[in-house]
Amino acid sequence: MAKDVKPTRKNLMEIEDRIELSERGHGTLEKKRDGLIMEFMDILDKAQDVRGDLADDYDQAQRKINMARAMEGDVAVRGAAAALQEHPEITTESKNIMGVVVPQIESSRVSKDLSERGYGIMGTSARIDEAAEAYEDLLESIILAAEVETAMKKMLREIETTKRRVNALEFKLLPDLYDSQEYIEQKLEEQEREETFRLKKIKEKKEQEEKEAREAEADEDDIEIDEADMEPPATGGVPGN
Amino acid sequence: MSIGASNPEYVNARVRSRRASLFADEDYRKLIRMGPSEIARFMEETEYEREVNALGTRFSGVDLIEYALNRNLAKHFEDLLDWSEGRLYDLVSRYLRKFDVMNLKTIIRGIYTETDPEEVQTDLIRAGELDDRTIDRLLEVDTIEDAIEVVSGTIFYESLSAAHEEYEETGALVPLENALDREFYEHLLEDVSRSPGRTQPQEGPEARYIEFLQAEIDFRNARNALRLARSGADLDPAAYYIEGGVLFDASDLNRLVGDYDALVDHIAENKRYGDRLSGALGRLREADSLIQFEHALDAALLQYADTLSSIYPASVSAVLSYILAKEREVENIRAIARGREVGLSESEIEEELVIL
Repeated sequence: MAKDVKPTRKNLMEIEDRIELSERGHGTLEKKRDGLIMEFMDILDKAQDVRGDLADDYDQAQRKINMARAMEGDVAVRGAAAALQEHPEITTESKNIMGVVVPQIESSRVSKDLSERGYGIMGTSARIDEAAEAYEDLLESIILAAEVETAMKKMLREIETTKRRVNALEFKLLPDLYDSQEYIEQKLEEQEREETFRLKKIKEKKEQEEKEAREAEADEDDIEIDEADMEPPATGGVPGN
Repeated sequence: MSIGASNPEYVNARVRSRRASLFADEDYRKLIRMGPSEIARFMEETEYEREVNALGTRFSGVDLIEYALNRNLAKHFEDLLDWSEGRLYDLVSRYLRKFDVMNLKTIIRGIYTETDPEEVQTDLIRAGELDDRTIDRLLEVDTIEDAIEVVSGTIFYESLSAAHEEYEETGALVPLENALDREFYEHLLEDVSRSPGRTQPQEGPEARYIEFLQAEIDFRNARNALRLARSGADLDPAAYYIEGGVLFDASDLNRLVGDYDALVDHIAENKRYGDRLSGALGRLREADSLIQFEHALDAALLQYADTLSSIYPASVSAVLSYILAKEREVENIRAIARGREVGLSESEIEEELVIL
């Protein structure tokens, strides 16, 4: 890259500006990366807890429904489940964590009380209630896990992108700019030296020419004097002879 | 419908032979060690052979077992209704109406969720009083309103019609289902207890029969009260109270539903049930789950029924005891098969599911 750039003062100034901007960007991105990593670690802890809870809730829900199916029969459990047409609702909003837009999932009508589950209370049992409750808890956990894990994945992607940017600045862009800067500076210095040398040479040449001119003039004067000495005097004779 | 004189002697003679073919405790112990397919094979060599073979092409695994059990149960209970006459028919049929309630709920839920009638039909247990023609007509209708019209002339019509208005307002099946259950329980003691012009018998087979039905109602009230108390839902306890029991009256229930501990104390202090349920009540105070308590209630009810059959072997009580024993067999086999399917251990199945 360094060889591609024209070694002009204007380019040098431009490169110096870009270096300044890149260094500032590099610092900012490094800070962003560190901040994101810290946020990510918090989310990771939360995600691990949520995952653990999710696994527990799933085991619990499976156990409860297995018990209900064993004691009440599959037909009764399916029947109780079919007594409700209404589905839980989920609304997603977004929040911003250090420039990363992560979802915030709000759920409604997931946990229900006895009267809202659709099946009659008189003819059912606590086994069905507990299976329904366990599945409501599981669904809450799934929604929370979806929120936290999506945030985690987005943060991770952003950390990767930021890390790549930091590395690109640190190991590619800035070194190239420094090389270009050095190359132009060297070239400019070289040009300066050449210019100085050239001027010096011109000056020397000029001085030489002047000297030669002066010498030639001096020689011309000498010849004229000699010629004058050799010529006979005109009428009236030479005074002093 | 009751025609002619009651014939408990004949029915009991038939019931005794049926009772002899019920699974013994050793059979359950064998089943507990088997997997679902082995259980199905074992059933093929027993009373359930015909049902397992008939359904074997459509279902497999635990579903085959469950549907075979349901069909066999329906066959036996239909036989009971066919044999019974007169007052005995009335007493038996009113207890078997629980299957009518179950079937009506299944059909209504099917209509509500627009499920294929073929699928709904598979889930029915035709062991109640409603005849096949009525059930087939119910399977053909498209709306709940039409279904209610089909059952006009049965005890369920009026209460379903009343509940239908609430269903129309809320869009939830709860009022319809509760109406069906309430109708079943309130007709259980019809004309045998506290009816005008009739005094409640204090001893004899009918007194025991009433005692059993009261226990069934009391246990249902106790379950519902505990569920309401646990859930903390803002529900009117009176709406779920079934009259006819001795454990609660409506005001007791209203007062106790808000105080869980007082409710448990009230059951424990009852002379008739306190001792029978003391163990389960003790666990109930500490545990989060009502399941163990419900398990204890089921066991206590079965114990009642067994006592009834041994005291008055030639009465409706013996028939009722057989009904419960058959239901227990079906529930136990289903519980073992489902339990084995999901990998529950032998001890878990024995302790938490099976009632021996």
